[in-house]
Amino acid sequence: MTEMRRRWLIFLGVAFVPALLIVAPIASFLLLSLFRAEKNVIIREITFGNYTGFFGNWTYFGTFLGTVLLCLEVMGVAVLIGYPVAWFIWQQKGSHRYLLLLLAVMPLFMSYIVKLYTLRSMLGLNGLVNQALLGLGILERPSQAFLFNQRAVLITMVVIYLPFVILPIFLALERIPRSLLQASLDLGAGSWDTFRRIVLPLSLPGTIAGALFAFVLALGDFVTPQMVGGTTGFTIGRVIYSQFGLAYNWPFGAAMATILFVTALIGILLAGYSISRQRV
Amino acid sequence: MILTTVDRRRFLKGSLATAAATLAAPAVLRAQDRTLRILTWEGYAEPEWLDKFKSDTGAAVNVVYAGSADEMFAKMQGSQGADFDLVSFDTSLFPRYVDAKLLQPIDPAKLPNLKNLAPEFANVKAVMQGEERYGLPFAWGSLPLVYDTEAFSTPPESWEVMWDEKYAQQMLWQDDANNSITLGALIVGAANPYKLTDEDFAKVKEKLTGQKKFLLSYYAGFDDGVNLFAQNGIKLMYSMGEPQVPALVKKGVKAALTIPKEKAVGWLDCWELSAGAKDKELALAWMNACLDGAVGKALTEKHNYGNTTNVDVNKTAGLTYGDKLSWLETAENYEKRVALWNEIKAG
Repeated sequence: MTEMRRRWLIFLGVAFVPALLIVAPIASFLLLSLFRAEKNVIIREITFGNYTGFFGNWTYFGTFLGTVLLCLEVMGVAVLIGYPVAWFIWQQKGSHRYLLLLLAVMPLFMSYIVKLYTLRSMLGLNGLVNQALLGLGILERPSQAFLFNQRAVLITMVVIYLPFVILPIFLALERIPRSLLQASLDLGAGSWDTFRRIVLPLSLPGTIAGALFAFVLALGDFVTPQMVGGTTGFTIGRVIYSQFGLAYNWPFGAAMATILFVTALIGILLAGYSISRQRV
Repeated sequence: MILTTVDRRRFLKGSLATAAATLAAPAVLRAQDRTLRILTWEGYAEPEWLDKFKSDTGAAVNVVYAGSADEMFAKMQGSQGADFDLVSFDTSLFPRYVDAKLLQPIDPAKLPNLKNLAPEFANVKAVMQGEERYGLPFAWGSLPLVYDTEAFSTPPESWEVMWDEKYAQQMLWQDDANNSITLGALIVGAANPYKLTDEDFAKVKEKLTGQKKFLLSYYAGFDDGVNLFAQNGIKLMYSMGEPQVPALVKKGVKAALTIPKEKAVGWLDCWELSAGAKDKELALAWMNACLDGAVGKALTEKHNYGNTTNVDVNKTAGLTYGDKLSWLETAENYEKRVALWNEIKAG
């Protein structure tokens, strides 16, 4: 009995900080999303009006669907680029490999805003990309195609979130025992077969984790679309943001944030499910 | 030793002033132990006029700076105005303060310098409630049209230039719901840009949605606008304020500003008398001192704000368009404006 109580006390002691910093804010958001605002005053009566208002208004719901689609694109492109990079680094020998890995995740040491400004100046009319294409003779005059549109949002998000994809994929590859690969080769499988039947399935959990990082991070990003998206870079993050300033409709903003939170949660559960189903 | 001298000198000066004041007019302040409490923005209680006021009146002055309009309101409401004698905010906030009963009317008879107000600031409707004056215009600025003089030999006459295909992808617009919709309302000729009807809202929406394809981007900050303008060969921008022009010039852009015929949005900060003012007389003395032309000169020359008294200094600084601005007022429904702006951006 005393042993039991001690365990409970230890659990409470450990759980206190995450409960205070994670569970409590999320719970308060959920609660806030059930209130309503009227003339700059938050009225504490339970209502689902914010949710019906969201799904009944194409401005919000359509923007939300567009945002989810964009984030899926970001995820796909980031994995398509990140996987080969991680694989290439994994193939290197000795300390060389960790140096390359360090270079790949280097952007994580930079401030997010600095990266955004750098990318914006690189993609701009007088930026590096245009200069390079002009120099190679591919373009005749500088193009505005790389900045202030949805494509720019996609490119920028992929670049920013790529290290989050490379790292878990590399770690998954790193955990594959070399003996398995040797056994596969010994048994007469070619390198493609080995990759397809050994490496790929075993690195899948890391790949799914990386993809998830890209998706969830992109979903919550409301600065990148604003900075590089021009007049078409409007995402649900911007809508949520707008409810907390002049509009002073915190409950509606909280409801949309909750919907975004649930979307990310569904993504995480789906990923967890597909990893647990994984058989080798 | 030095300290003593200064003290004695100041004491003597103070006593002389007091003596002179007592003899000349009993009503003039004698305020050795009086304190004025001001809640304002940075830049509105500067040494140029603060020190003079202190030595003229002998009063102490406590200045508290607010970081945002919401913070200022919260500070006033927290004490029902009892913590401050004076406060300063712009014309759009009057109803909020008046409704919360945080202000009291200003007696014009106590402000001999009121005559110094330039004509365009003497009769601003937003600071009046019926016959009573609640605010004293002090500093102003605008949200003008900024253009590249290399693309325009004469300033554009109308905001409609921002719907000209010729400048497609070479124009920037503010990402601010209220400013965008107010200017949109001025452009479509709404009867009152701060009390829009449903019909006005529909017109503004159509107008601003139709502009999207011509804009390179919306911008969300003072410096962001300047950087985007300089980096992308921009020709026209709905500006966030006059200081963007010198910032652009510094970056090598030959930028200038103009107020088109449809007018532009203007902000006008005023001094207001708190309902809980302890020393009303001293507060009115501060207001009167702020109406001095020398204060206006310092305000404009040091801080680039338009002033309300010194027309010559405004002229030299190019701030000659106070009569062509639409002073911000409280809008009919901010939530509706934000929703409309979201629709425009999603459309």
